[in-house]
Amino acid sequence: MGNTIEVKNLVKRYKDFVALDHFSMEVKEGEIFGLLGPNGSGKTTTINCILSLLEFDKGEIKVFGREMKPSSYDIKKDIGVVMQNVAVFDEMTVYENVDYFCGLYVKDKTIRKNYVEEAIEFVGLSDYKKFLPKKLSGGLLRRLNIACGIAHKPKLIFFDEPTVAVDPQSRNKILEGIVKLNEEGATIVYTSHYMEEVEQICTRILIMDNGRQVALGTKSELKKMIKKTETISAELPELKSSDLENLKKLPHVYETSYTDGELKLMYSGGNHNLVRVMEYLKDHNIMFGRVYTESPTLNDIFLEITGKTLRD
Amino acid sequence: MFWHNFKYSVKCILREKTTLFWTLIFPLALFTFEYLSFGNLMESDEIFSKIPVAVVREDESDTALYETLMALSEQGDNQVLDAEVMDEEEALESLKNEDISGIIYTADASLTVLESDVYSSIIKSILDQYLQIRGIYKSVAEKDVMMAAEIVSGLMTDELYYTEVSTSDGCQNEYYNFFYAVFAMSCLFSSLAAIERFSRLQANASALGMRRSISPNTKLVSVISEYMAILMIQFLIELITLGYMMLFGIDFGNQYPAIILTLFIGCNIGISIGMLISALKCGEGTKTGITCGINMLCSVMADLCANGIKYFIECHAPIINRINPAALITDCFYALNVYDTYDRFFRNIITMGIMSVVLVAIGILILRRNKYASV
Repeated sequence: MGNTIEVKNLVKRYKDFVALDHFSMEVKEGEIFGLLGPNGSGKTTTINCILSLLEFDKGEIKVFGREMKPSSYDIKKDIGVVMQNVAVFDEMTVYENVDYFCGLYVKDKTIRKNYVEEAIEFVGLSDYKKFLPKKLSGGLLRRLNIACGIAHKPKLIFFDEPTVAVDPQSRNKILEGIVKLNEEGATIVYTSHYMEEVEQICTRILIMDNGRQVALGTKSELKKMIKKTETISAELPELKSSDLENLKKLPHVYETSYTDGELKLMYSGGNHNLVRVMEYLKDHNIMFGRVYTESPTLNDIFLEITGKTLRD
Repeated sequence: MFWHNFKYSVKCILREKTTLFWTLIFPLALFTFEYLSFGNLMESDEIFSKIPVAVVREDESDTALYETLMALSEQGDNQVLDAEVMDEEEALESLKNEDISGIIYTADASLTVLESDVYSSIIKSILDQYLQIRGIYKSVAEKDVMMAAEIVSGLMTDELYYTEVSTSDGCQNEYYNFFYAVFAMSCLFSSLAAIERFSRLQANASALGMRRSISPNTKLVSVISEYMAILMIQFLIELITLGYMMLFGIDFGNQYPAIILTLFIGCNIGISIGMLISALKCGEGTKTGITCGINMLCSVMADLCANGIKYFIECHAPIINRINPAALITDCFYALNVYDTYDRFFRNIITMGIMSVVLVAIGILILRRNKYASV
């Protein structure tokens, strides 16, 4: 599989502020590529530069193997964008909005009609075709926003935080739709600061902060980059400091904490760690409630690399 | 692509109620208000009504004056007075009650009025004219009776020694300036629709602009299709306004092709102003505010609110009238109605045309770009 997008050494400055600092990335054909980072990390700026909406100071951008310019209409015709802000006409109905944006790409009226119907059905707005956007709820409006961006069946689709301020039902529908579009052959670039979403749907993930790449890889590759392999948590009404010291001495434990009745043990490898913890609690007659184990999250990765959480 | 964009632009403009209010409803309402305010003043026949007077004939020797007053009181288009013979006491009572405007004594052609006003001045003028003619007749008759008869005959024929010729077929009623200003304002209000439509083309002004900027189409086609859509609707609105005024009996003469050309060019200049303002780096609210301010200022300076401002500007700073689009539009109408040549009309049309082309060219240069420093 070749690269659909290639970005090399991209630099974008707003006066003294460096939004993108020699940023590079590659998106492979057919993947769902996640751009993860806190607000202001440069995700949207990267997309706007790739789309040739923003002037940049330095760097090189190629899409479908060709240099991307404002006049690259042959490249643009295969790109779909779902904006962070809803971009629809308030005066047009759901159908008219999708038809309008699809019409900017597809000239043939018969083909367009089919595409529009498919897009509306895809996002589940078939019952709202004649509704004006102001009559739609926030979730439905987001779905319309998506329909407008994908109706022309693009090969590359950018989803820029499409689930912001969306109810859980619509959010799941949107995520399912993105996976379906990918299965139908579209390459997806997905930006979000919701790590759960990125973890759920993305093939590869690039974590960025302050306009720079922090980490890149598949979920498992990213998890291998950090020390932590597992976190075991246990609800304990009380715990002696001597027991906490003993637990810290268990194999592969590198950090412990006990706050608000919850014990946390951080592991850097090893097997059967949970069994050992349970045995210790039982042998020392320590009362416990819920005990569970967690794999490292993207937030853990971000925290370990940058020293701050994704939602900071 | 052009027709696709054009079709949806037209739909959007027609469904945008705020813009439609300012471009269509407001000018019609303003015209209706103005028409109702001074519509009667425009009909000259209604300005003057017959003046009620009492005629006191204590001495009936001056029958000539009596006959003259009765002749002026005969019903018809030329009736000036409504004279009624009364005795002095009755006449004074009527004057006190303001039933009549004055008392004419036929014995000495004297006049008694309660207060000096326009009606008493007219009665006084009639009596002065009568006394002047009577004096001429007496003076000539003492020397030559035959010549006096000729003079009387000449005066009776009321012959005019000049001919009134209008330089144009248009209406020269000064109140029409208000209606011309309504047209000017309406044309300039097309800038509001332009602000909204062109802001939606720019990636640094709206999310819609971003989405449209990344489509595989040249910006120029989008800009032109938007321009044509606004122009078509605004021009239709002007024609509706013209038809509405005609329904009220407003007569613009028989210069309709030239009037329609004026409205067409007027719409162009309004849209081009909006196009340029839409390219400014500020919020849509600020742009709309700037546009409304400019429109109102231009319209007021073109006599929308009070007659005479445009003339004052013409006397003290004529250059403002040469570049104020509202003044140019109203002056086109004025020139059509007053002058028998099209020199002044075409000077205004050409000025507006050049201004439109320059503004549109600058607007296109700014709007057609696809890449921005920030979005």
